[in-house]
Amino acid sequence: MSLRLKLLLLGLATLVLPYGGFEYAREMEAALRDGEQQSLQAIAQTLAASLQGRSDLLYRLPTDAGLAAPGPDDLQAVPLLAAPFLDGYADEWPRNSPFRRVFSDGPHQLTLLAGVHERMAYLLIEVRDPHVVFDAPGVDVLDPAAFGDRIWIAFTDESGTQHQYFVATAGPGPVRARRTETQDLGRQVAIEEPRIVGGWQLMSGGYRVELRIPLAMLGARLGVLVDERERRGADPKSFGTLDHDTLAPAGKLLIPSPELTNYLSQFIQPGLRLTVLGADRAVLSEVDALSVATVSSAERGVLAQLYRRLLERPDDVKVVAAQATITGIDRKQLLGSVQIVETAERSLTLRDKALTQLLNFTLLTSAVAVTLMFAFAAWLAVRLARLRRASESALTREGLVTDFPETGAPDELGDVARSFSMLLGRLNEYTGYLRTLAGKLAHEIRTPLTIVRSSLDNLESESVTPSARTYLDRARVGSERLNAILVAMGAATRVEEAIQGAERSRFDLRALMDSAAGAYRTGFPQRHFATDLPEGPLMIEGAPDLIVQMLDKLIDNAVDFSPDQATITLRLHAAQGQAVIEVDNPGPALAGEGHGHLFESLWQSRADGDSRPHFGLGLYIVRLIAEFHGGRAEAANLPDRSGARFRVLLSNPG
Amino acid sequence: MKLIAIIEDEPAIRDNYAAAFRREGYEVRTFGNRKLAMTACAARLPDLAVIDISLEDEPEGGFELCRALRSMSAELPIIFLTARDSELDAVSGLRLGADDFLTKDLSIPHLIARVNALFRRIEALRKPQTTGQTVQRGPLLLDGERMQVQWEGQVVLLSLTEFWIVHALARHPGHVRNRQQLMDAANVVLDDNTITSHVKRIRRKFQQLDPKFDAIQTVYGMGYRWVE
Repeated sequence: MSLRLKLLLLGLATLVLPYGGFEYAREMEAALRDGEQQSLQAIAQTLAASLQGRSDLLYRLPTDAGLAAPGPDDLQAVPLLAAPFLDGYADEWPRNSPFRRVFSDGPHQLTLLAGVHERMAYLLIEVRDPHVVFDAPGVDVLDPAAFGDRIWIAFTDESGTQHQYFVATAGPGPVRARRTETQDLGRQVAIEEPRIVGGWQLMSGGYRVELRIPLAMLGARLGVLVDERERRGADPKSFGTLDHDTLAPAGKLLIPSPELTNYLSQFIQPGLRLTVLGADRAVLSEVDALSVATVSSAERGVLAQLYRRLLERPDDVKVVAAQATITGIDRKQLLGSVQIVETAERSLTLRDKALTQLLNFTLLTSAVAVTLMFAFAAWLAVRLARLRRASESALTREGLVTDFPETGAPDELGDVARSFSMLLGRLNEYTGYLRTLAGKLAHEIRTPLTIVRSSLDNLESESVTPSARTYLDRARVGSERLNAILVAMGAATRVEEAIQGAERSRFDLRALMDSAAGAYRTGFPQRHFATDLPEGPLMIEGAPDLIVQMLDKLIDNAVDFSPDQATITLRLHAAQGQAVIEVDNPGPALAGEGHGHLFESLWQSRADGDSRPHFGLGLYIVRLIAEFHGGRAEAANLPDRSGARFRVLLSNPG
Repeated sequence: MKLIAIIEDEPAIRDNYAAAFRREGYEVRTFGNRKLAMTACAARLPDLAVIDISLEDEPEGGFELCRALRSMSAELPIIFLTARDSELDAVSGLRLGADDFLTKDLSIPHLIARVNALFRRIEALRKPQTTGQTVQRGPLLLDGERMQVQWEGQVVLLSLTEFWIVHALARHPGHVRNRQQLMDAANVVLDDNTITSHVKRIRRKFQQLDPKFDAIQTVYGMGYRWVE
């Protein structure tokens, strides 16, 4: 794993920050909601307290108050959101309202539901009746023979006077209530009541009637009775909430006060729903602004919406609710209760706002941290790479050639670089010392050796005894060997100096090798020399003296490693812009992988037992001269491993 | 009796050489540093100076001494005898006007042979008629009497050793002269590197007059020859 990747991963650890922020925001949201709940509770209690004992505000008639357990005939009016269209269809009515009253008699059934909207009371009457019988058309409605199914409505007015009306029709459509009035001479007439109107419509298995009665006409009690007839004029079968004989209404009609809604409206705010329930938990009034958005979604930023989508959980509470009871003056009687529901949108919005800021900030921090770390790691990697490259290439054969980088840096890397630089400097001094050691040693030994040799020379002139001469000769042999060692030791230094002072000229390499081969034939009579040279001249740019020295070293090497009477082959050819010199000698194959080392200073792989001094400098000199000519030296075994082949490539600009 | 001045800071070597020269019948004076040598030579110029390059605390003291002696006398034979064997030192020494550059590898008999040869050459110079013959090879004219060389009519300023080398080569054009033969001809005893240096200097001197000069050819591994 690279340093860059490691630091990048480390940088990712800063993502804990946004996560922590997110958790914190959730906590905050819970606390907010708790506070909201409490404040909502306080509002509910205030509202309930303001309604304490105000049964007049709860109900239209104060007497209606305190009905903890309504009787089976009582009707609870439902607040209607809109005035129903009086067409005999129940579309505008709440379905499955708990305040439907159902009266059954055999296959017949009467369902009653009362409603109130503004200044009108509405009645929904559904009758399940297998035989719907209409009045005979065009006949006096009071003619008993013409009677069909008939609905009786009876109520008391505010003064307690009872009123009775009936609804009958010859067919589906709009209907009006009528009342019978006994006129002079006991004649009964049916008088239409224009204020009580409605619609009659057939439904599957029966019929439905909607009626509207102004609240002003109504008092405390109201009842409905259905006369069901098998056929016209038959005796009716009656069921409903009226006394069958007197048609006196048995049940009450409970109507919430129309003031209540106005009263509640003062408290309404967007995102709030206020509900006042009666003691029987019937809804007396409800003001609903719950779905009115408190904050438009356009107002929320795109990021905030994105965050909400990320953070929303299915168990997130979307509303907060509170409830308080309304009591009578004596604080014991239960009048009803107040329910307040508020959307959690506000706290959610607050949370979102905080969260958005927090997440924006922490994510930005993370991004910056990661970027900085990455950049830092990249920078470190670059510096390290530079250091590595420098340490690999700083020390060459010519010595410390490059300025070591980073040594000026004040950090640990700078320390490393300085240590490296110092180490390499010492190594350089050491190798430099080693390189010049042979030359220096040769030079230093030369003076005492000269003393020995000149003394021996002088001794020759003195008269010495024959026995002393033996020792003199031995001393001379020893000093000669010492001298040979010195010459060999200084050879590389001399060649290096010669290379520095060498002059290049253009010359024919072929002619040079030809004449050199001739010299070797006389120089090494116990070896044969074969030449394989090109036809024409091969001109190169270089120092012919050095080339001859190089050939001398190669031939020395070939002679040393080949047996007597062996044939050493000198070959020259041009290939790919280079002049290639090859010297093949039969003899032992080169061992192992150390071919590259052969051309290094002080390397030798000679068998012991050679009396001549060797310092592994011969092939090193070959390499130096080859490199001076822009080429290189190689060693390989002959294909059949019958000997070795040394090859020198020289750049050949011609 | 010839006076030889040996300027060498190593007493054992100095005394050994002095003993050898004295045995050969030369008068020898030895000096350990440049100052002493200068004082003595100013008083009496020796017939030959044998100088080491590094003298006590002066690494290049021998070169300084050589330059000073040469300014005193243009003819004084000077031989460098040093432990330093680099070609650069040899070239520097010869350029300063030294007649020979020898390393201390040289045995004493060898050294004495060279010194004798040098004195012989000087004798020859003083009796020019002994080698008085003229050689004409194309544009080359060798005047043995005046020890003078001309190339295309222009005088080439060669030292004595260089003259004898050219003489030996040009007398038999086309014949390869190995280094030993050249040394014998020049009446000098030089090592291989010194011969190479001399030949290079000769070529350069000719090339200063004629950039196309190519009459001295190297026969690698053998020696040199004169081509026309």
